[in-house]
Amino acid sequence: MNSEPTITATDIRLAYRMARDRAGTVKEFAINLLKRQVVYETVWALDGVSFEIAPGEVLGVIGPNGAGKSTLLKVLAGVLAPTSGRVIVRGLVSPLIELTGGMNPEMTGRENIVLFGTLLGREPSFMRERVGPIAEWAELVDYLDVPLRNYSTGMNSRLAFAIATDVIPDILLVDEVLSVGDERFRRKSTARMEELMGLGVTVVLVSHSLSTMRAMADRVLWLDHGRLKMLGPCHEVVAAYEDSI
Amino acid sequence: MTTTPIYDSATSTGGIIQPFRNIWRNRSLIRLLVARDLTVRYKRSVLGVWWTILNPLLTTLVFWFVFSAIFPRTTGSDVPFVVYLLSGVLLISVFFSQGALAGGSSLLGSRGILSKIRVPGEVFSVTAALAAGVNFLIGITILLLVQLATGWGIPWTVVFVPIPALAMLLLVTGFGMLIASAAIHFYDVLDFVRVLLQLVIWLVPTFYPIEIIPENLLRFIHINPLYSYLVVFRSFVYEGAFPPAWNITYMSVSSIAVLMLGVWVFSRSWKSAAVMM
Repeated sequence: MNSEPTITATDIRLAYRMARDRAGTVKEFAINLLKRQVVYETVWALDGVSFEIAPGEVLGVIGPNGAGKSTLLKVLAGVLAPTSGRVIVRGLVSPLIELTGGMNPEMTGRENIVLFGTLLGREPSFMRERVGPIAEWAELVDYLDVPLRNYSTGMNSRLAFAIATDVIPDILLVDEVLSVGDERFRRKSTARMEELMGLGVTVVLVSHSLSTMRAMADRVLWLDHGRLKMLGPCHEVVAAYEDSI
Repeated sequence: MTTTPIYDSATSTGGIIQPFRNIWRNRSLIRLLVARDLTVRYKRSVLGVWWTILNPLLTTLVFWFVFSAIFPRTTGSDVPFVVYLLSGVLLISVFFSQGALAGGSSLLGSRGILSKIRVPGEVFSVTAALAAGVNFLIGITILLLVQLATGWGIPWTVVFVPIPALAMLLLVTGFGMLIASAAIHFYDVLDFVRVLLQLVIWLVPTFYPIEIIPENLLRFIHINPLYSYLVVFRSFVYEGAFPPAWNITYMSVSSIAVLMLGVWVFSRSWKSAAVMM
């Protein structure tokens, strides 16, 4: 086993630099500029966060809305580069996210499986072989050639979950996904998550559900206004968080 | 795929080479995205992909009507006016204009993906340019058929058409990246560009015979790089002659210059772009 931490975050800060009344168009910007009203506000979505995650560890991330939880996941996924500080992620990352934003509604389920898997860094030829097993697991075999726009929200998240967990990643990034779908599928996906955890997959789990945290997380990171408020064993942090609200 | 991938935010800024490396690494993804672009656009229309061909043909028909029925002119060459028109429409309207616009809107259009999965943004710029290139290639087969049907024929120099096509691919990619970099910050850049492209297209003899341009204005046409692309392409595809060396040089130099400028601006604005989205 590798003794290096799977994820090392060192003093990461991330700034959203926003013009007040953010000018969305050149026209508005020019008008604001003439009126000398371009005032930039820097909002630190993450402000000096450091932590390490060991291989196979499940780290929960809690905090009120706007604390920077989703931003942290995006930094770990490599979508956002930190303004300062450094993140090192060792291993294949699979983000558990909904398909809706990224996928094309005109494309069929089959086409989306191949495209989404390729976007996650897998080979298209490999994905074409995996269409069957993925559709079977998501219980969508009969809907493979139907355009995604005709899928329900539940079907959509089932497909997304099935694609993301089809290969065993080194790191799974989860943002509240477990809360979607009906009860039966929720149990099925929780079981799959636990199976992956048993296989030594490192998990970063963002959730508002403290019971999910208690059931799954080894350690919990509490974010507040972009700052790391507390990081420690699950029960300690969750208890402290509960006391604060 | 067997080695453990390592993402290190400190090394991800890269240099001017990084975008090219990203494009090569993601080539199978690009192939999928190009196929998606070509098929999805017309998926809900009755005629489907046939629009790829119909679109330039109908445009040609409109301009053919305007310039041969309303203002009868000659092109100075014996080539049928419809061949002259269609070749211009394919290169300038289908490849350059539509490709640059698609490239410019590609980042905003792929926001859903880019804000969730780590995919280099240049993948989408290249995809847009390649898709326009494929439409152009499909159009060329129609153009060659028209050349045969009108009795003009196909000269052997047609084998050199990939040269202006490749130069145009680089130009469109670079231009699309420039527009995309600006469009991330201001949504209405795309509206400006759409109008600007109209102007640029009319500044070269795409639709009209160059002979209608007064002598003293000719240099403004020659100065436009797109004019050289047109000259080179038309020489190879139907005239069966070699274009002047300065046109080939101007074409090659401008394509590489615009590509490098686009890549440079794009990679500089990319980091802040991700946050804006």
